[in-house]
This record gives sequence, structure tokens and C-alpha cells, in this order.
Amino acid sequence: MNADVSADPGANSGGSRNAWGGVLAAALLLPGLQSPALAETPPEQAEMSVKLLHYRDRQPGLARIKVTAPSVYLMVPVAGRWSVEGSLVNDSVSGASPRYHSAVSGASRLEETRKAGDIQVTRYNDRDAWSLGAAYSTEHDYRSRTVSAGYRRSSEDNNTTWNLGAAYSDDWIGSSDDPTLSRGRNTTQLTAGVTQAWTSVDLVQLSLGASWGHGMYSDPYKFPDRRPDRREQYTLMTRWNHHFTDWKATLRSSWRYYADSFGVRANTLETAWVQPVSGGWTLTPSLRYTTQRAAKFYYDPVYDASLGAPLPPGYTATSPQYLSPDQRLSAFGAITVGMKVAYEIAPRWTADLSLEHYEQRAAWRLGGSGSPGLARFQADWLQVGLSHKF
Amino acid sequence: MWSVHRHAFTAMASPNEIVLAGVAADLAFEGFETAEAEVRRIERKYSRYREDSVISSINGRAGRNAVAVDEETAQLLNFAAELHRQSDRLFDITSGCLRRVWDFKAGREPTPDALALQLQRIGWQRVQWDGRAIALPQPGMEIDFGGIGKEYAADRAVAALRGLGLRHGFVNLGGDLRVIGPRPDGQPWVFAIRHPRNEEQVCARIPLSDGALATSGDYERFFITPDGRRCCHILDPRSGQPVRHWQAVSVVAPLCVAAGALATMAMLIGAEAASRLSTPGVGFLLVDADGRVRTHDPEQLIPLPTSP
Repeated sequence: MNADVSADPGANSGGSRNAWGGVLAAALLLPGLQSPALAETPPEQAEMSVKLLHYRDRQPGLARIKVTAPSVYLMVPVAGRWSVEGSLVNDSVSGASPRYHSAVSGASRLEETRKAGDIQVTRYNDRDAWSLGAAYSTEHDYRSRTVSAGYRRSSEDNNTTWNLGAAYSDDWIGSSDDPTLSRGRNTTQLTAGVTQAWTSVDLVQLSLGASWGHGMYSDPYKFPDRRPDRREQYTLMTRWNHHFTDWKATLRSSWRYYADSFGVRANTLETAWVQPVSGGWTLTPSLRYTTQRAAKFYYDPVYDASLGAPLPPGYTATSPQYLSPDQRLSAFGAITVGMKVAYEIAPRWTADLSLEHYEQRAAWRLGGSGSPGLARFQADWLQVGLSHKF
Repeated sequence: MWSVHRHAFTAMASPNEIVLAGVAADLAFEGFETAEAEVRRIERKYSRYREDSVISSINGRAGRNAVAVDEETAQLLNFAAELHRQSDRLFDITSGCLRRVWDFKAGREPTPDALALQLQRIGWQRVQWDGRAIALPQPGMEIDFGGIGKEYAADRAVAALRGLGLRHGFVNLGGDLRVIGPRPDGQPWVFAIRHPRNEEQVCARIPLSDGALATSGDYERFFITPDGRRCCHILDPRSGQPVRHWQAVSVVAPLCVAAGALATMAMLIGAEAASRLSTPGVGFLLVDADGRVRTHDPEQLIPLPTSP
């Protein structure tokens, strides 16, 4: 959208008491001054970006996974009302294989590569747009195929946008430890949301998501790890973006609630401040906090008196109950701090660098103690990117 | 290198130009024809010099009966009414009758009696306008769309060009201009603001990727009286006298019709112009009676004026 948005009458309050802000609002009522505005605007320019992500995580005394992932993204407008976009990513993972409870050592080395790609076609009409997509990801012990469809619609005044989405994934899970393992999993996902321009400087959004999965959820690299073969997941997310005209800055805030049939409940609060500064630079510091309740079948690092680690008290090889030592299913609190620096090198060239640090600790859980005995878990992301519009 | 096509034509008593860039010649030609046709349509419809115009038919019934108007005219009248309200009655589309007694070509001031007679005919608040039909209550009363008509034409021309899918260029109707979109390389178009006292001199350069620029000044039509007073064609509807506070006012706003109206209102209101124009989405450049330049630029609409 062009600078015409700044003519919104709601922005008048920023001026002096008798300022002629109403003139802009009145002018916008004149007939035919806006070109036939497409609420769902097809992209006018092609865009290409290359990114390099470096990730590593560690626990005290153990540097674990390192991931290096170069990726390329390309979006091309076609025939005025269509766009085609796609991306390719190639991860190489190296490091120690996951260990379960942090008291347990014994890391075998792993080397891994993942290749993934996706493609999406979008058709833009005057008030709505729909898209179809497909994604593919493969590793030597894992393969995932997804098809998706989406629909967006905007209100007459463009202040409200509704969206609906559906996706179906078909995954295959193997194991390098167990060549005989070959299991499947499929997932159906639905999303719905509404975005509302509340005032000229406030945007609010509500979105709901649900997914129903069926198949193998257990981790073949963890023992003992037995999880239900059905998982339902639900999310509720609210966002609020507020633009500070005087500062030319935007505050983004969101709250996300997550619940699943494993018994995990999580709340995430996130905030980011997008501040353009002179010379084409934009700084975006961000802060995220998550607090999570453990899955019903997560077991603390307390081990059977006679069998010892990693087996929980009362463990028998034939016990039917579910159990998992996966720290992602434990009770914890986590904080992520991040900073992104973007720089417009030339009118159509942007470079960015972002850094994020994640730290997870049992003691940081809100409203209840976290899972005892887990060492803190840390991860860092460093990403550099270059994008070009043409 | 991308192509640039320029089309010059005269309409609304002004030299006009349309510039389109980054398109093939045949599409540019189609754009020129479409945009010029839109400008001429508005000129025909609202020219007070044409007997068959909407304005002439309204003015011709002054003191007699109401005239029902079409939707477009109704919206322009509503806009004029809003400008009148916002400007504390300074912007008044009934003030054009003052031109009958001010002769800028001959350089003659009106006699007090002649001026008083015209002043009685001014006052939008006395016009009967119900949103559908308009009646001028008094014979000799008249309206015109000076100060908004040309600017409206520029905005409509740009909308038509955007409707054809054109994205780079601008429409300039006698110095009131609206940008369609930036140059094809993403850079803004740069427009020079002429110095009001020295035609050769530029007092600012304004880069625009979007939005509109309009200038109102005391140098378009004026004469100097024998005792040295400068009389320009922008006349205060309360006194019938020319404004004297600013030599020129340039306004940058999202729409040309808003920029033009604000520039005229600023010329009329005088000293208060700076505070009244300080509103989001608007940038302005004021040249005062002594030639000093002042700019206000909440959103970096006018980055670097060079002092005269």
C-alpha cells in the first residue's frame, strides 16, 4: 500500500488542536481517487533471498547439535494475478545425538543432512486470494510430504481480513539405530484467523489452530520412549501491533496458548520493537517467554532402584503405560532474547543479521515447579541473509 | 536503462505534463490518452467559462431555483463545504465573484462600492445545499471549483493510470502534481520549487515516490499598485483584499486535492498556517513576505530545502 494510508482521519490526533487534519479525510471521500484497489494485492516485483542459518545447542558440559543451513527463496509474480514462490533448504547437522535426562551422558556422534523444498501458487482476486502448496523434506531416517490450501478474504473497507487454511502431511519415520524401523504418521491441520485494523495505528489478530495426528510419535533414539499414537494439538494466538507515529516504530506483542492431548499446556508471551533508524538501518530487539506444563507421561530423572538410569521407577519391559524422558515434554520456563539488524544496501537490496539466544530452565516455570533435576538447556541462532527485489 | 515517455498538453488554462516510465511506448500512449481524456472531462464539466458546464447551470439559476446535481458534483460540493468549515469560512467557493472587480491584467484595484457589492454575494453558509440539490439564494452569486478542480483532475488522472497497471511516473497539471509511483529503479522523482520572487531560482527540491505536491503563491497573477503594494489573485473572502502574509506555500499530501486545498487555505489564513498545516501525512514549505523559507516535515516529506 502506498503513503495514502497516512491520510487516515484517525491519525489526526497527532497534530495540533486546530490542525487541518480533516482535509485529508474529506479528500479521501471524493469519488474515484483511489485506483481500483485490490484488497489482496498481487506482488508487483519478484523477490529472491538467500540465507545462511547457524544453530547450536548445548547443556552444561556438552556441546550438542550444530546445524548449518543455507537456503534460497524465490517469488515470481505471473500474469498480474498469480504468484509462484518456492524455497529450498539444505541442512547439515553434526554433533552428539540427543541425550535424555541431563544427568545421563553417553553421546554417540551423528552426522546428518536434510534436504527440504516447498512451492506455493497463489491466485489474487479483488477481495480474496487462494493458494495451493506442497512441501517435501527428506533425511536418511525421515521423510515428510505435505499438501496445503489457503484462502484469504478482505472486507469492503479492507479493515478486516479472514483466513482459512488446511494441510495434510504424510510422514515416514525410520531409524539409523534400527534398520527395521519403518513407521508412518499423518497429520491433518486446520487454521482460521481474523485480522482487524483497529485504528490507523493498531492491528489486532486472533487465530486458532488445530491438528489431529495419527501414527508414530515415539522417539526412536530415546529409550524408553513410548508415546500415544494419536496426538491432538490446539493453539490460540492473539497479536497486537501498535505503531508509534512519533517514533516511526512498531511494537509487536503476542500471546499464544498451546494445549495437546499429551497433557502439555504452554503459554508464550512475545514482544518486539521494530525501530527504523537513519541511514537505512532497522533494529528489532525481541523478548519471548514460555512457560510449560509437562506431558502426562513425562518422567523426571529419578530412576529405578535396581535397573538404574535411564529406566524410571517400576519400569518393566511390558508395562503398557506411556513414558518419555524428552526434555521438550518437561515442565520448564524459557526465555529467548534476540536482536535483528537489517540494512538497506541499495533501494532493492536488503541485508540482515539476526541473533537469538534461548535458555530453558525448570526453575523459570511460572505457577508451579518445573521438572526437577534437568540441567539448563541453551541454544543460539545466528542468521545472515541477503534479499533482492527485481 | 528504463524508458521515459513524456506527454505535454494544455488544458484548464495550464501547461500540463504526464510522465510515464518503465513501460513500452504503446502502453504509455494508451495511458496518455486515458489520462488526458479524464482531465478534459473534468474541465468540460466544471469550467465556469463553458455554458454547458455543471457550474454554469448552477450559477445561471442563482436567485431562482435549485439545481439537482450528479453524484460526483455532490461529493465535490461536500468537500468544498468541509473545507469551508475547517478553514473558518476562509476557503469559500462563492468568493470567485471578486474577480469581476479585480482586474489583474489592467492592474486596477476595485472601488470600495464595487467591492462591497461583491462581498454581499459571498458566503457558502448561505447556500442551500442538501447533498442532492444546490440553490444560490441571490442573483449574481456564483460558485467555482478553483483550488480543487485542477487538483481533483490530477488525482483522477493518476487513478486512471494506475487502473491501467502503470506504476511509475507522475501527472503535473500546471504545477499541481501527483505521483503515480517512484522511478522504475525505486528512486523518488525530484521536483523543484520555484522561488516566488526569482523565476530562475529554486528554493527547494522535493523528492516524492508517492503522494502529491501543490503550490499556491502570490506570483501567478498579480500587479503592483502605484504606492508599491503587491496585489495577487488570492483574495480574502471577508475583506475582498489580496493576501499578503506568504509569498508562497507548497504542501505535500497523499492526494493532490488535499495538497491544493491546504496550500490555498494556508495562503488565506496567514500567520497561523504553520500550526494548522501540522497534521500527520502533510509536509509543507512556507516562504514568508521577506522571502524566508520555513519547512515543517513530520515524516521527512521535504528533506532538504536549499535557502534562497
